Amino acid sequence: MIGLPFAGDGLVHGVLTGLGIVAALLFYAYEKRRRGLTDPRLWPIAGFAVAFGAIGSRVLTWDVSTQVSLADWWGNGDRSILAGLVGAWFGVHLGKRLTGYRESTGDLLAPAVALAMVLGRVGCLLTELPGTPTGGAWGIALTPAQAALLGGPSGAGLHPSFAYEIVFHAVAFAVMWRFRDRLAHRGDLFICYVTAYALFRFGVEFVRGNEVLWLGMSRPQWFLLAVLPLLIWRMRRVFGKPVRPELKGRVA
Amino acid sequence: MALGVVLGALVLYVVYVGSLMAVGPYALGSFGLGGLGAFIPIVLYLLVAILLAIRRRTSRFGAGLLIGLGIFVLLGGGLCVGALTQMGGLR
Repeated sequence: MIGLPFAGDGLVHGVLTGLGIVAALLFYAYEKRRRGLTDPRLWPIAGFAVAFGAIGSRVLTWDVSTQVSLADWWGNGDRSILAGLVGAWFGVHLGKRLTGYRESTGDLLAPAVALAMVLGRVGCLLTELPGTPTGGAWGIALTPAQAALLGGPSGAGLHPSFAYEIVFHAVAFAVMWRFRDRLAHRGDLFICYVTAYALFRFGVEFVRGNEVLWLGMSRPQWFLLAVLPLLIWRMRRVFGKPVRPELKGRVA
Repeated sequence: MALGVVLGALVLYVVYVGSLMAVGPYALGSFGLGGLGAFIPIVLYLLVAILLAIRRRTSRFGAGLLIGLGIFVLLGGGLCVGALTQMGGLR
């Protein structure tokens, strides 16, 4: 079994998160240049995404039913990448509204987000509770001290759920790189990536080891259950038939 | 833009970490910025950054400030704000 090298080490986690943001911004700059996009409003929109993503990751997980104040939650509460993505999505829309930018930015942002997630999740893999017991001898094992720190079982092999997620985002990045200019509509790449991640995340939550909220499912899974129908509906635009094919060719 | 990132993150770290380390946990609290008041600098910073980001002439600097805020919140800065909020007694 493999050990957990930096259990609970916030510095290691922070450095890798920071590297993820830097990599994402560098890729954003590269892709912006490759597509010939020179609009000065694109950088503020990226700024809105980073700022509100960071704030969202802390604030949007706030559970009022626990009667913990927002101030306490900010310091000691859960952080969530899903909440961060929602915050970033809100930030992008706010940024576009305030700057008056109307074009889709999803295709620019999606591969950058995947890249940030690969590096950020390496930080999680090295420092956080990896997952539920695998039942096999190939998982990550915690020492008794690490188990006490992270709240998991010691000695048992645990699913390296963050490694699964790293592989997912790396593959998603490669696929997006390959097909980034081949989708019909602007923004389709982002819809495909987010939907695929939502489906993957829903599955991987079963071995993540997050607290079960209701009916054997965790809070992220319930959130995803609420969001997935909307995403799947949006996916119809990407791969589905035209909404009114009978009109095609008749107009104009 | 890079100047905005560095300057913005630095200002936030100085305000929050410096306050905790130099004068003690009640540094901001003594100015009425304990508890939820610890969020005041970050909210003011966010408003200024947004205003600069949406003005055409200062958009890049404003974008840098926003990214600096994100870096601060994600890389440990949130803990400082959290520590200050818990020291002001206002919940």
